[in-house]
Amino acid sequence: MLDFSYTRARSAEEARAAAGEPAARLLAGGTTLLDLAKCGVERPDTVIDISHLDGLSDILVDGTGASIGALAKMSAVADRADIRHAFPAVSQSLSLAASQQLRNMATIGGNLLQRTRCPYFRDPATFPDCNKRNPGSGCAALGGVTRNQAILGTSDHCIATYHGDLAVALVAFDATVRTDRREVPIDAFFLTPDDRPEQETVLDKGEMITGLTIPATVAARQSTYLKVRDRQSYEFAAASAAIGLDLEADGVTIRDLRVALGGVATKPWRARTVEAALIGKPVRPEIIAEASRLAVEGAVSHGGNHYKIELAPRVVARAILTVAAHLNPDLNPALGETA
Amino acid sequence: MTRTIRLSLDINERRYEIDVEPRVTLLDALRDHAGLSGTKKGCDQGQCGACTCHIDGQRVLSCLTLAAQAEGRKITTIEGIAAANGDLHPVQLAFIEHDAFQCGYCTPGQIMSAVACIREGRTGSDEEIREYMSGNLCRCGAYNSIVAAVREAAEMADA
Amino acid sequence: MTIMEPRKHGSSADGAVGGRLSRFEGRLKITGEAVYALEYPAERLAHAVLIQSTIAAGLVTSVAIDDALAAPGVLMVLTPEDDLGLTVSADWQGNRPEEKPYYPLPRQVEFNGQSIVAVIAESREQAEEAARLVRITYAPQEGVASLEDPKAGEGKRLDQLSVAWGDAEAALARSPVRIEATYRTPREYHCAMEPHGLTAAWEGDQLTIWEPSQWAHGMARMYAEWFSLPVENVRIVSPFIGGGFGSKGQPLAYGAVAVAAARKLGRPVRLAVTRPQNFTSYGGRAATRQTIALGATEDGILQAIVHRGASETSVYADVPEQTGAATPILYKVENFSSESRVVPVNTVSPGALRGPGKNPSAFGIECAMEELAHALGMDPLELRLKNYADRDYQSGKPWSTRMLREALTQGAEAFGWARRSAAPRSMRRGNKLIGWGIGCGTFPVIRAPSEAMIRILANGRVQVVSGSIDMGQGTYTILAQTASEALGVPVEEVDVILGDSSLPGAAIAGGSMLAGSITGAVHKAAQAARDELIGLALSEAGSPFRDTGANTLAIAGGRISAREDGPSLTLPQLMAALGRDEIEVRRNTLTDDVQSAEDQKKAWTTMSRVQGPTMGDYSMHSWCAHFAEVEVDEDFGTVRVSRMVSAFDCGRLYNPKLVESQWRGGIIMGIGQALLEEGVIDPRNGRTMNANLGDYLVPTNADIPDLQVISVGVPDLNASALGGKGVGEVGIVGVAPAIANAVFHATGKRVRDLPITLEKLI
Repeated sequence: MLDFSYTRARSAEEARAAAGEPAARLLAGGTTLLDLAKCGVERPDTVIDISHLDGLSDILVDGTGASIGALAKMSAVADRADIRHAFPAVSQSLSLAASQQLRNMATIGGNLLQRTRCPYFRDPATFPDCNKRNPGSGCAALGGVTRNQAILGTSDHCIATYHGDLAVALVAFDATVRTDRREVPIDAFFLTPDDRPEQETVLDKGEMITGLTIPATVAARQSTYLKVRDRQSYEFAAASAAIGLDLEADGVTIRDLRVALGGVATKPWRARTVEAALIGKPVRPEIIAEASRLAVEGAVSHGGNHYKIELAPRVVARAILTVAAHLNPDLNPALGETA
Repeated sequence: MTRTIRLSLDINERRYEIDVEPRVTLLDALRDHAGLSGTKKGCDQGQCGACTCHIDGQRVLSCLTLAAQAEGRKITTIEGIAAANGDLHPVQLAFIEHDAFQCGYCTPGQIMSAVACIREGRTGSDEEIREYMSGNLCRCGAYNSIVAAVREAAEMADA
Repeated sequence: MTIMEPRKHGSSADGAVGGRLSRFEGRLKITGEAVYALEYPAERLAHAVLIQSTIAAGLVTSVAIDDALAAPGVLMVLTPEDDLGLTVSADWQGNRPEEKPYYPLPRQVEFNGQSIVAVIAESREQAEEAARLVRITYAPQEGVASLEDPKAGEGKRLDQLSVAWGDAEAALARSPVRIEATYRTPREYHCAMEPHGLTAAWEGDQLTIWEPSQWAHGMARMYAEWFSLPVENVRIVSPFIGGGFGSKGQPLAYGAVAVAAARKLGRPVRLAVTRPQNFTSYGGRAATRQTIALGATEDGILQAIVHRGASETSVYADVPEQTGAATPILYKVENFSSESRVVPVNTVSPGALRGPGKNPSAFGIECAMEELAHALGMDPLELRLKNYADRDYQSGKPWSTRMLREALTQGAEAFGWARRSAAPRSMRRGNKLIGWGIGCGTFPVIRAPSEAMIRILANGRVQVVSGSIDMGQGTYTILAQTASEALGVPVEEVDVILGDSSLPGAAIAGGSMLAGSITGAVHKAAQAARDELIGLALSEAGSPFRDTGANTLAIAGGRISAREDGPSLTLPQLMAALGRDEIEVRRNTLTDDVQSAEDQKKAWTTMSRVQGPTMGDYSMHSWCAHFAEVEVDEDFGTVRVSRMVSAFDCGRLYNPKLVESQWRGGIIMGIGQALLEEGVIDPRNGRTMNANLGDYLVPTNADIPDLQVISVGVPDLNASALGGKGVGEVGIVGVAPAIANAVFHATGKRVRDLPITLEKLI
């Protein structure tokens, strides 16, 4: 790591003021910032430690939804019984991420801002070409190793996957990101790379996430997060899906559906076309499977990541069927023991 | 000259005054400045768990924690989990009994993780132990024995 | 939380050879007191960091170091411009080229990730920062990224690896049932949890190096040759080593750099190789490709095996990964042909990684045997038993011991193989496909001499002193057991001192050759110490046994007596009576004709006295059979090993508790090899793109089910003094094919290139 100065912020205001400086970085859990500083990707000259600030780690859950402070730890949120009850997919997305040690460190706000695992992004000494790090320099990933690169939301300038899990669940359930200046719907919070891969969110310099709001819905309560990966644990997703489902009184017809994908796109990816195609339809494996293919509409293969085009819809379909079987156990035989 | 800052760290219920650059991680502060080399460096990038220690009772990775961040917190390392009279922690004993290590390099991290895992109540089944011990890689492959040791130590803690 | 009392171990017999004694040095490891190489304190320590190349091939045309030199704390920058004054060392056999200079920081780049520059500063952080300020300019040349690079070509045939008997091509052509397939394994890495590195300190022309080592004496010799020192001047200290798996058996370029920097600076230097740098600072297992054709009769009698293998090597050394190593000895076959090639690519020279040669070789032949079984419609267990090798057809020699039949049958019994439904895709659990597969493994018994010293101290404690290494395989423990048994003293009275090239010489902790070798030396020394003690007790003036008329004395439980029920003395009492502070006995297992000082030095510091498995009257090997069950989620292509039973013939087990741990460790590495592990190389510049533990995936705890291991071995006194055969290497051999075969059985899809990742199954 390059040398930097360390300041422990005494208040959120002080932190925000200091963070406005060009090479200043806020330090919360440290799991992204210090990792990237060691890689040579982040080169802060000042680190402003906000991890000791009070009042930003509260977790409140009531009938209207959840409010989670930006400095709440991943593990603290994941392990809350009320979160598990009202937002199972949110809880699972956290529990299936990283390891318990990292979940004890990483904060919710920092988790949203984690940066891509693209190996070209993370190796600046070897690959100077990275539009994310160095706008206009090119994209070394194009034509390189692409197994974990994105198939959705890519551009000629960047194909780096957003690897976070939590944000996928949040996108599915229309959470709102609160900052010191505004509230932003989470889907609009994240940006696709287009011709500005360096701009990953709408946050302005010096703007600080203060928390999240997740509205309570039936779909959020009846939800799951399914993560598929090579290793059983401690790995990012090859493909994942956050699914929320509500059925009509007949126990078969889909009343509400939320679908979001992880591990396959440049940002947490809401698949509204799948939702639209299935609302009002009965839960039947072949119908679900066909509609789930819409999740990868417009997907672009770069060779090594081609399998994700096949895999992602299957993850979506399985997750939908899993929730459906949970809601209506009578569906189980028809669904082929998916649950 | 590079700037150093003076930190006062509370490690294993002892106070350590150390002068370090702000960028020094807790892991390096423990190993190179506090003389506590029981905490191991396996990757230095949050991917192996060998550097696991406890901050305020929670297991964390010291390689991705700045020493400066830990000031004012209660730090516990492998050197600090035996009883004051020297009696080993039940997890330590169970690790020996079940041969839950070979080369020993990941072991302090495994034990710190296991102590926390039991405290977190994540020992309900072997499957749960495996998942909650998966943040600690062991290349010698002592996983079966680690699960057995954690299971037994958890049962002792319940008894 | 309650504190438990330390529990007693299972049985008083645990202290003897064959007992389940808990790890002797365990307390040091579970308390953090075991000190590893980079943890030794040193006064005025300076810190070195490496800068590695970022191209596959080319010339370093300039290195701009002014900014780095001006950075805070920087002491020195070493580049290809600096002549460090080193000469090339001898190879493992002791053959040394004449005065050939050695440049650990070369101007010619031979692979991406090669060390080019080192920055030395007051602190590691300062050295790292300054390293970012160094600017290296290259004149790139065309490189070959990998074995599969179209530019790689066919490589060169290695005649010494060609094996043939009978007429394999003709017999194959005549065979009514034939299969032929090509199998591939990728570049794989050791990933020992302790990264490489060292601390080097000079005092005059005396050099001390704290470095994790699988072979202290051999490494001391190689450092001495680099720096033109007598080997006695170099001391390698390595009492604890955080895993090696074949990677820590020789000094490497970074070691030369650190030692040279320490000499130039006149200060101790520590160099910690970062985890990403570990992936290219030494070679892992080479990528391999092998084509196997099998011919058989319709009732499944093997008629011919034709094997053609290739492995990648570096552009500067021919290091074969012998895909034909297991092929000739697993089955009875009258017609055999094997050829191997090495293909130079721009990579660091491949190294030995657990089960070298045998491991990828078994992946080929053991997959091919199941493909043949499928073609025949025969149970793969039956096919293996039907073609059981009654002798070694390659050497023509009888087996010393070969309990592979028992491994297959007892393993099958424990696994429940008889309940297997033969057809692929015919077994399910919930929505998962279930598959069962078998893979056999083998590893040669490699014998080497060692030396050991036994000291009996006035306080009655016994010291076992050896320069051998414990990297987790259990040397401390089994040597305590060996000495305890041979001397008749309780194991609690024994201390074991290891891991230092200034101590008696020993075989490398590699190739599964150490345990058999060093237990022999310790046993010999301990028996001699016992004889000496008894002799003194019978002859010395002060001894109460002198005038008893006894011809000999018994030592048991740490007490010495003329008869079992007679009066006895403790060892301290006897030592006091003898007026001795210490009795020291040193013995080695070299033959009488090579006992000169020069012969001994060469024996401990080279491989020149190492004997292969067929150098005596017998063909000697460890054997195993793995039975794997996988669950496959066909929608996702994900494979989970849900159960394994593995049966081993490793001869006599010196400590079954530790042996079982090693076997499981090998199996787990094999599971990683089968499903996860693959060095991913950028085809454009040969860069390792997953050079870290988050992207190069080794198994986590969650990936591993309960692994049942069974010993079917019998003591093999041809293999070693105490009857054991090698344990550490064989465990991994055969695991990957067992899993690949199980995946085929589950899915009907034959994946012939490892690892079996999800995109190959969806």
